[in-house]
Amino acid sequence: MDRTRLFNWLVFAAAMAAICGWLAWGKPFKITGLFLTSGLAVGSLYALGGIGMVVLYRATGVLNLASGAAGAAGAMIAWQLETWGLWPPLGWLACILVALAITLAYGRFLAPRLAWRDTVVKAVATLGYALIILGLVAFIWIDDPRALKLPTDAVGIQVMGLRVTATRLIVLAAAIAIVVGIHAFLGRTRVGLQMRALANDRDLSALVGIPILKVETIAWGIAGVIAGFTGLMFADLIRLEPVVITFMVIPSVAAAIAGRLESLALVLIGGLSMGVIESMLTLSPMLKGARPIAPFVIAAVVLLWYQRGTRLTFGGKD
Amino acid sequence: MNHRTALAALTAFAGMTLAGAAFAADPVCGAATGEAATGEPIIVGGIYGNAAPGDWTSSTDAAAAYFKCVNANGGIHGRPIDYRVENDQWNPENAAQAAAKLVSDTDSVAMVGNGSFIEMAVNAGTYKDEGIMVMASACAISECFESSNIVSTNQGPLPSNLGAAMYAREELGATNIACIGLNIPNNGIWSCQAVIDYMEANGGTGSMALLNPGAPDVNSALLEAVSSGADTILINQPAGLALAILKAAEEQDLRDAFNWIAPTPLYDLSVPDQLGEYWYGHVYVNAELAPLQVNGPDAQNWVAVMEAYGNADDPRDTFGQAGYLSARFFVDAMLGMDPADVGDRAKVADAIRGIKGMTSDLMCGPYYVGDADFHMPNHAGYMVKIVEGGFEIVRECYEYDSAYFEPMLAIEKELGLN
Repeated sequence: MDRTRLFNWLVFAAAMAAICGWLAWGKPFKITGLFLTSGLAVGSLYALGGIGMVVLYRATGVLNLASGAAGAAGAMIAWQLETWGLWPPLGWLACILVALAITLAYGRFLAPRLAWRDTVVKAVATLGYALIILGLVAFIWIDDPRALKLPTDAVGIQVMGLRVTATRLIVLAAAIAIVVGIHAFLGRTRVGLQMRALANDRDLSALVGIPILKVETIAWGIAGVIAGFTGLMFADLIRLEPVVITFMVIPSVAAAIAGRLESLALVLIGGLSMGVIESMLTLSPMLKGARPIAPFVIAAVVLLWYQRGTRLTFGGKD
Repeated sequence: MNHRTALAALTAFAGMTLAGAAFAADPVCGAATGEAATGEPIIVGGIYGNAAPGDWTSSTDAAAAYFKCVNANGGIHGRPIDYRVENDQWNPENAAQAAAKLVSDTDSVAMVGNGSFIEMAVNAGTYKDEGIMVMASACAISECFESSNIVSTNQGPLPSNLGAAMYAREELGATNIACIGLNIPNNGIWSCQAVIDYMEANGGTGSMALLNPGAPDVNSALLEAVSSGADTILINQPAGLALAILKAAEEQDLRDAFNWIAPTPLYDLSVPDQLGEYWYGHVYVNAELAPLQVNGPDAQNWVAVMEAYGNADDPRDTFGQAGYLSARFFVDAMLGMDPADVGDRAKVADAIRGIKGMTSDLMCGPYYVGDADFHMPNHAGYMVKIVEGGFEIVRECYEYDSAYFEPMLAIEKELGLN
C-alpha cells in the first residue's frame, strides 16, 4: 500500500472517530454506548450493501440499485415460510437463494443487453428492475405489521452495561469477514484475477480471452448472496418493510462512493462511520434533524478530499 | 395481508357467513324497506390512500358496503347512492386531483369515509370553498380535526395519545412520558405536544423523540426516549414502526424499566402474534372505537353488512368500523331531510352540520357535527392490554381529560349533549 493511500485511510478513520467523540462528549457511556451499538449494526448493513455494489461494479461496470429490492423479496419469503411453520433455517436459506436468483436473473439475461450502454443507463435500468420487484412484493404482501426474529437476538453479551446481541456481532463480523474474504478472492484466485482485469480494462480483457460472461455471472452471484444476507439482517435488526429494505440501497450507495467504488476497506470504514454518526447525531439537539443526510454529507466530503489537486472533467478518465 | 392470514380470514369469513345464514339477523340499513332504490342516483364521494407506506382502504370499503345495503333497502327516499371513490396514493397532487374530480367536477352532495394521511391537508380549503361537508373516517393529521368542513368518526393520534397518557398517569403511575412520534408537524409533533401539555398540567413532565419516517433506523428515536429520563414510553407510530421500536427495546431488555403505551394503530389483530411472548401483559393500547369483543348490536350490524355487501378481503378493523359509522350517520341525516333537498349540496351540508346526539355502541360518546372551525366528536375510548392471542380490555369507555377538549365540550354543552 502506498503512503498516500495509507494517509487517506488514517485521515478518514481519524476524522470519523473525532466526529463521534465530539457528539458523545460529556454524555455518560451507558447512553452513548447504546447509540454506538445501534449505529455499528446499521453501519454494517450500509457497508454490506456498499461492498456488494463495489464488487459488482468493479467486475461488470454496473452500479446495481436493485440489491435492496432483491434482499427485501428474500426477507419476505423467509418471513412467509416461517409463518407457514417451516423450519426457520430453511427460510433464511430461501432468503439468500431468492435474492441470488433475482440478482442472477438480471445479470444473466438483462445486463448483457445493456453491456455497451453508459454507466448511468445501466444504473437506471437496475433501478427500474428494483421498482418492478418492489411492485411485485407489494402486490403479494399488502402492507401489514410484520416482524422477523432470529434466535441470535436472544443471545447477547454485556459490554460495560450494554447488551449487545449476537445478531449485531454477526452482522459486524460478517461485514469485516466479507471484505477480507473478497480481498483474498480477488488477490489469490484465477477468477479474482480475471475480475480485476475486467475492472482495469474491459475491452482489453475480452481481447485476451477472459470469459467475460462467466466472470460477470460469478460477480452477480456474489452480489446476490450479499444482498440476500443483508436483506435478512436488515429485516431482523431494522424492520421488515419491503420499501425500507429496498431503499436501504441509497445509504449503501453513499458507502460505496466513500470507497470511490474501488476500495472495499474504505467502503467498510465509510459504511460503519455513516451508521454510527447517523445514530449519534441524535445526541445533538441542534443536529439531530440532519440524520437522514449524514451518509451523503460524509460521502461528499470524502469525494472532495480525494478530489483535491485534480481537475474535474465531464465523463473523462482523469 | 399474508397468504396464511388471507386464508384464515377467508375461512373465518366463510364460517361466519354460514353461521350468519343460520343464526345472525340480516343487516339493517337506512330505511330498511327490503326493496331496491330505483330513483335518480345521489352522488357521494370518498378519497382513500393506498400505496406504500400503507393501505387505508378499510373505511371507504366499509362505507361502500353500507351504501350498497342502503341501496338494496330503499336508498335515500327511493334514490340510490352512487358512491365514487378515488385513491390519492399518498401523493398530494393526486389528492388534489381526486378532490377536483369528486367535488369540483361532479355534483356530489358530500364526501364520506375518507381515509388518508395527506388528502385532508391538501383539500381542506377546497372543501370549504366548494361548500361540501366531509364525513371522514380515518384521519391522522391536525387539518382533519381543525377544519370547518371535515368531521371524522375516528379520533386520530391526539385524543388517542391523550387517552393512553391519561391511563398511564392514573393507573401505571406515569410522571414523565416520552412520546416517540413521526417528525411531521401536523401529526407527530402536534399529537406528542398535546401529551407533554397534558402531563405538565397534571404535575408531571414529558418530551418527544421524533422519527423521520424515511429513516431506516428506529433505534435512535427509542434510545433518545430512553435517555430522556422518562418512566413511560408512548409509541405514537404506525404499527410497523411500533413493532420495530418494541423489538429494539426487547433486544436491550427494556421492558420492565418503563411503562409501554400506544395509541390506536397498535390495536391491530396481527400485532400480538408479531410481538411475541416477551411483551404479553406489558403494552397498553388505547382503542378509539369499541374493541371487537364488545360486540354490541351496532358492531354486529357492521359485521352483518360487511358479510352481506362487502368483499371477503375487506379488512374488519377500526377504520372499517369508522367507515361504517360515517356512512350510517350520513344516511340517517339524509333520511331526516325533505326528499326534495337530498340532491342539493348546500342543504345536505346543513343537514350534516345539524347532526347531534347520534349514538352507536361502537363509539363511547354521542356523535355530532355542529357549525364550528373544528370538529372532534370522538374523544372517549377504551384501554386494552396486549395478551397472547389478542387484546384484553383494562378500562371500559372513558372520557379523556385535557384542556385541548374544552372547545369541543363547550359545543357539546351548547348542543345539550353533556
